[in-house]
Amino acid sequence: MTEITVKTDVLENGLRLLGEPNPASKSASIGFFVKTGARDEDPQESGISHFLEHMMFKGTEKRSAMDITLELGTLGVQANAYTSEESTVFYGAVIPEYFQKFQELLSDMLRPALVQEEFDMEKKVILEEIALYQDRPHFYLFENALRDYYGGHPAGNSVLGTVESVSGITREMMVNYFKRRYLPSNIILCASGNFDWQRFKEDSQKLCGSWEKGQAGRDVTGFKPSSIQKVYYKEGLSRCHVLLMTAGPSVSDDERYAFTLLSVITGDSSGSRLYWQLIDSGIADGAGADNDEREGTGCFMLYASTGGENLDKVSEVLRKIAATPLEFSEDDLNRAKAKLISRIVKSGELPLGRLMALGNEWLYRQKKHSLKETIERIKAVSQRDIQAAVEKFGLNTWSEFRLLPEE
Amino acid sequence: MAIIEKLANDLVVIVEEIDHLESVAYNLFLRGGVVNDPEERVGASLVLAELIGRGAGELDSRALSDAFDARGISHQEASSLNRYVLRCSLLSDYLSDALELTAKMVKQPRLPQEELASIKSLLIQDIEALKDNPSRRALVELAKLYFPVPFNRPVIGELEGINATSLKDIVALKEQCFLPGGAVLSVAGKVKASRVIKEAGKVFTGWSGEGPGIPDFKGFPKPQAYHIDSNSAQLQIALIYPSAKFGDHDYYAAKVLNGILSGGMFGRLFIEVREKKGLCYSIYSRHGSTAEYGTVTVYAGTTPERAQETLDTIIEVLTGIKGTISDEELERAKANIVSALVIGEESTGARAASNASDWWTSGRVRTLDEIKEKIFNVTIEDINRHLEAYSPLNCSILTLGSRRLELPVDNKGE
Repeated sequence: MTEITVKTDVLENGLRLLGEPNPASKSASIGFFVKTGARDEDPQESGISHFLEHMMFKGTEKRSAMDITLELGTLGVQANAYTSEESTVFYGAVIPEYFQKFQELLSDMLRPALVQEEFDMEKKVILEEIALYQDRPHFYLFENALRDYYGGHPAGNSVLGTVESVSGITREMMVNYFKRRYLPSNIILCASGNFDWQRFKEDSQKLCGSWEKGQAGRDVTGFKPSSIQKVYYKEGLSRCHVLLMTAGPSVSDDERYAFTLLSVITGDSSGSRLYWQLIDSGIADGAGADNDEREGTGCFMLYASTGGENLDKVSEVLRKIAATPLEFSEDDLNRAKAKLISRIVKSGELPLGRLMALGNEWLYRQKKHSLKETIERIKAVSQRDIQAAVEKFGLNTWSEFRLLPEE
Repeated sequence: MAIIEKLANDLVVIVEEIDHLESVAYNLFLRGGVVNDPEERVGASLVLAELIGRGAGELDSRALSDAFDARGISHQEASSLNRYVLRCSLLSDYLSDALELTAKMVKQPRLPQEELASIKSLLIQDIEALKDNPSRRALVELAKLYFPVPFNRPVIGELEGINATSLKDIVALKEQCFLPGGAVLSVAGKVKASRVIKEAGKVFTGWSGEGPGIPDFKGFPKPQAYHIDSNSAQLQIALIYPSAKFGDHDYYAAKVLNGILSGGMFGRLFIEVREKKGLCYSIYSRHGSTAEYGTVTVYAGTTPERAQETLDTIIEVLTGIKGTISDEELERAKANIVSALVIGEESTGARAASNASDWWTSGRVRTLDEIKEKIFNVTIEDINRHLEAYSPLNCSILTLGSRRLELPVDNKGE
C-alpha cells in the first residue's frame, strides 16, 4: 500500500484544512463539512439547514445561479451536497487539472447571496422533495420514529421539516441562520486524491481567509431514552415495517468500533444474525442493524420489513435479538472484521470515499486517521470489548415503532 | 488496456491490471436472464440466481456464505433482463479463493429443494414492495407496456411465474444457461493477467457447452398514453421513445444529446423544469441501449396540481432541442460525460463491469481513451441528424398517480 499521510492546518479565522494527497489517483475531491444541521434549528426554523444547502447553488455576489450551474458543468464536476441532523456537506470530484478552479467555485458558493426570487423558487422544489419522501415508507418510519424516540431532544429534529415549517421560513430567517452557523471555526475544508497540498493551503487562505470569525456552538446535552411503543399508519401501503431502537455510542465514544462490528454481526446483508433468521428463511424482505452516532448521544437500531402475515414472527425475532446482543461466536466477529476492512479499503480507493471518511472523522473527533490506523482499530476489537460496550450502554431500554397499512 | 483470452472451453477472460489499488473485482456474465425464462415461469431465472448462493459443491448454504465472509469477499448473484451476473469484489490476496467459490456456484450448485420456498417468498415480497415505491413502479410498468415480448418482462419477475417455478424448472434452466460458451469473466484491479488466466483455466475446467441466444427483438409500438391509478403524494411521469442502439453510428451522438438534456445540474430538463419553474425535485432522462435496441426514458415526479405544467415543459424541452444547441452547451455536455467516466471508473468494480458489458454487447472492449475520443468527435450536426432519425415526438407516456395527463396534440407518432 502506498504510504499516504493526512495533512492539517488552520487558518487564522478558525477554518480547518485537511488533506490527503494521492498522486496515483486520476481525480481529486473537495468538500466543505459544516457542523450544522437539523439539530441546530429552532422549532420555527425546521428544515432551514436543508433549504440553505439548496440555496448554496443559487448564486453569490459574483455568480448567478445559472453561472454556478454552467460552471460546474464546464469543469465536469460531479458535485453534490447533503444535510443531516448533524452536518451539512458540499462536495465534488473533478479531474486534477480543474481542482483549483473547482476550489474557487465551491468556496464562493459557501457565501451565498440568497436572492429573494431564487429563494421563492427553491422553496417550491423543497416542498416537492417533502412530497417525494412522503411516498417512501422507510423514510417515513425513520423520520417519525426518530422524532418520537428523542421526544423533543434536538437530535430528533426533522431534516426536511414540514410543509408548514418550510412555508414559514423567510429569507431574513435564513440570513440570520447563516450568520449564526456558517462561521469558519464551524467548518472544515477537506481534499483528497490527486492535488497539491501546498497550493491548496495557499488558495484556501486567499479564498476563505476573509470569512468573518465567530463561535457557532451546539447544545450537546446527552439523552436518556425511555421505552416507547408506537404504531404509525399509512394508506395504501403493502409492506409492514418494524424498527427497534436503544441507546448506543455517540460520535466521541471509543465504543464506536465495537458497535460498528456489532451491527455487522447482527444485521449485515450477508451472513448476519438477522440475515439467517429473517432473510434466508424468507419471512422478511429487508432487515438490518445500524448504530446511528450523534454528538452527545447515539442509538442502536434493528429494522425489518415484511408482509402482514409474518409481522408477529418478525417482531419476535427482532425482540429476541435485541434481548441477546452478545449471542455470537469468535468466528462471527472475525468474519465481520474481514467484511468491514474489505469495504473500508475499497471505499478508500475512491477519492470521494476517502474524503467522506476524513471529513467526518475530523468534524467530530479532530482525529486524522489514515486508512491503516482505522483498520488497526477494527482488528483490535475483541469479543470482550463488544461485551464491555454493550454493558456500558445497557441495551435494555428498547423502543419499538411500526409502520402499517391503514385499515 | 485490457488483456483478453479465450479459454479452451470458450469462456472469455478479460483482465485489466490496475497497480495502484489494493482491491480486485470481477463480473461473470452468463447467457440467459428473464427474457429466456419459460413463458409460464417468468422470474425462474431470479430463483436460480438466488438458489446458487444456497450451497455449492461440498459447501452447504451457511458454509458457502461463511467462506465468502471470512475473506471479506462481497458477492452478488443476480439475473437481469438478458443475462446472469455474478459479481465479486475483494482484497486482491483472496482472488484465487473467490474464483474457486464462484466456479463452484456455476458448475456444482446444490440447488436445495428445501430453500425454494423461502427464496420464492423473498422474490414475491420484492414484487409486492414495488407498490410502495411509486417512482420505481412507474418505470417497471412502462417497460411492461412499451417493450415487445419478451423484452417487456419485469426484471423482478412475475408473481404467477415465480409461484409456478419448480426445482425441475430450475435444474433445466441451469443446464441450459450456466455454460462457458458465450460467457465472459471480466477482472479488474491489483492482479497480473497471466495469473488470472491461469487460475480461471484451473477452476473453470471440466465445463463445456454454449448458453442460449437472445430472442428476436420485434420493434417498438406506436406512441401511446398509459395511466395507472394510484394514491400517492406525487404523480409519476415517465416518457419513453426509441433511440440509437449500442454500435449504431449515432450512438455517441445519442449519449452527448442525453448529456445536453440531463447532464449534471446544467441539463436542459433540470434547468427548465426544476430551476426555472420549481416544478419538481427529481427529473432526469437516460439513454439506455443494448445490442438489440436503444431508448430514451424521461422521468419526473411532481405533485398532481403541477403535473400538467411539468409534462408540457418536458415536451417543450424535448421538441425544442433540434437546431438550438450551442457550441458551449455541446462542449459542456462532453466535458461532463468524460469527467464522469474518468471519475466513475476509478473503482475496480466499475472497470470490471464496463469491460464485461462492452464484450457482451459488441464482442470487444473499448479503452477509456477510445470512448473519450468518440465523445469529443460528436458535432451539433451529428446530433441534429440523430434527432431526425429518433424524434422525441414518438414518445409514449405513462402516468402513475391520482390524475391522467393530456398529451400535446402533435404527439401522433409516425
